[in-house]
Amino acid sequence: MSGLPLKAILMLAWRNLWRNHRRTLIMLAAITVGVWAMIFMTALMRGMVDDMLLNGIRGLPGEVQIHHPDYRDDPNVNNSMPAPHDALLSAMRVPEVTAWTSRVRVPAVISSERDSRGVVLLGVEPQSEVKVSFDLETIIEGRFLEDSSDRGLVIGAKMADRLETDLGKRVVVMSQDPDNNIADRGFRIVGVYKAKLASLEETYIYGGRETVQKMLKLGNSVSEVAISGGDYRNVDRWLGGIQQAAGNDVETLPWYEIDTYLGSMLAMMDGFVLVWIIIVFLALSFGLVNTLVMAVFERVREIGLMQALGMRPSTILYQILMESLLLLLIGLALGNAIAVGTIIPLQGGIDISVVAEGMEMMGTSSMLYPALKLNDMILANLIVIILGLLTSILPAWRAASYNPIEALNKT
Amino acid sequence: MNRLYTLVLACLFSPLVLSADIDPRDLIQKAMDHWRGTSSYSNMSMTIHRPDWQRSMSMRSWTQGEKTSLVRVTEPKKDAGNGTLLKDNNMWTFAPKVNRIIKVPSSMMSQSWMGSDFSNKDISKSTDIIDQYDHSLIETREQDGHKVYVIESIPHEEAAVVWGKEVLTIRDDHVLLEQQFWDQDGVLVKTMKALEIKELGGRTVASIIRMGKVDAPDEWTEMSVKEIEFNVSHPDSLFTLSNLRNPRQ
Repeated sequence: MSGLPLKAILMLAWRNLWRNHRRTLIMLAAITVGVWAMIFMTALMRGMVDDMLLNGIRGLPGEVQIHHPDYRDDPNVNNSMPAPHDALLSAMRVPEVTAWTSRVRVPAVISSERDSRGVVLLGVEPQSEVKVSFDLETIIEGRFLEDSSDRGLVIGAKMADRLETDLGKRVVVMSQDPDNNIADRGFRIVGVYKAKLASLEETYIYGGRETVQKMLKLGNSVSEVAISGGDYRNVDRWLGGIQQAAGNDVETLPWYEIDTYLGSMLAMMDGFVLVWIIIVFLALSFGLVNTLVMAVFERVREIGLMQALGMRPSTILYQILMESLLLLLIGLALGNAIAVGTIIPLQGGIDISVVAEGMEMMGTSSMLYPALKLNDMILANLIVIILGLLTSILPAWRAASYNPIEALNKT
Repeated sequence: MNRLYTLVLACLFSPLVLSADIDPRDLIQKAMDHWRGTSSYSNMSMTIHRPDWQRSMSMRSWTQGEKTSLVRVTEPKKDAGNGTLLKDNNMWTFAPKVNRIIKVPSSMMSQSWMGSDFSNKDISKSTDIIDQYDHSLIETREQDGHKVYVIESIPHEEAAVVWGKEVLTIRDDHVLLEQQFWDQDGVLVKTMKALEIKELGGRTVASIIRMGKVDAPDEWTEMSVKEIEFNVSHPDSLFTLSNLRNPRQ
């Protein structure tokens, strides 16, 4: 390295930094706010997307689904498949799979005395359904189904409104059996749920699996098997085993292929975080370059003197870089601290119900839970340090390439 | 002795009037049979009334037993040829304009039939009331020299019926005077009422029937029977999809 030891360069840089403490403080504030914004906004966005994905996957439901190959194109009762066989049952016993459920899922019409609506009728297995998809806390009146032969029906609050019906009353559900005959049946409403997204309340009605199978004359067949692992990012690890066990007669797909919109959301989010951090940094870098350039201009005579006294240009370069490194490190430390300090108290959720309607269109709920991810923090810090140093090379280079005589004569 | 003889005669010829315990289910069955016969052919018109418009169409209808019937519109010209075929709880419609037979899916069963106040379900499942409800006689009264029975029918728990109850008023000569549809809160939603009763085809039947919602009194549909023949024999080819598309009678 240069003639001066690292410690001396560090000392010089540190003192130079605080010679004009007002400028340094302003710059520090800019870096701090920038870093805070990067991390905080990323956490908010991560939270939003996480919420959207988790909601979406709960609504699918499950990270992996098994269907009849034609079911997704034409979700009718003819495209059902047999209930899970032994090989599949044992494949689903791996530790990564936390829960699975089989469901009958067909389009149907629900009618009351006053109105009738198109819905999706779900014949579910209540015990496993609550682990994969249904949130028991959403039941606002009555109860959820008790077992798969429960003869009751659970509908959404909004649907109850539209049909002008209520808990304890009877409604008629109509659909078609595999022979294209009308299959209908009266159900008593035993529960009303209120979903995070109102559109779901108008779409899904829940009946017991066996009751629905009997009504549709389906025998033992189901429309889908939904398997949940709890971690949507690492589905591929256990997907293969399930696919093999399920066989080729059915279609086994992970969530990001079932709902490609959700899948691309995740990819888009990862890209978006990087773009966001870089944009904030670009704004920041102008301030940083400006500060350092000014610091260099101010000290032209001084730099010339130091060169005249024998300091090598490279040492001057290191010294200026060291100044900006110190500035960046302090700024990062403060920024990270403030970001963590502001996110942690908000982790219980931010109520954004004022704009809930708009958010619902995007598929997120009215509570925003910021999600602080270590990876995002590291990414932000690395980008700031690396790009920060790169941008300070320019002023440092200028300082190092002054001619000492000209510099000394500069007034 | 003579008086006893008269009593016996009376018992034989008007069993409904005298028997104290009338089976309401039987009464409804008889009312349905009376109206429908084993088979029938009729010529009727349907009037749909709305607050700002009203229209009528004429139609011909053939029935055979409880589960088979065919209806075809003859007037006005733009609706002529529209037909509905009912067979064993399945329902098909044909419209010459699209030249296509459509099987009415379950999703459309609760929609209106030809724009009227009758739903497809009202048309196709009118006899379900006999088996899917519990019937009880709630009132017997005299009216115009006839005995009139009021029967309350409550659907079974799992019957595919939205109503809380139906109340049927049936005269002792098996004419259905009124059918009321009540919701599960005990509010009357719609009624089907016989407005005119006369002798047609050798039977006393309701010749004008009006169906209307209670909360919209100026919206109703009236079916008026012009002529009816009972117990006619229909060829098997009558109740077929090809006949629905290409009328041969």
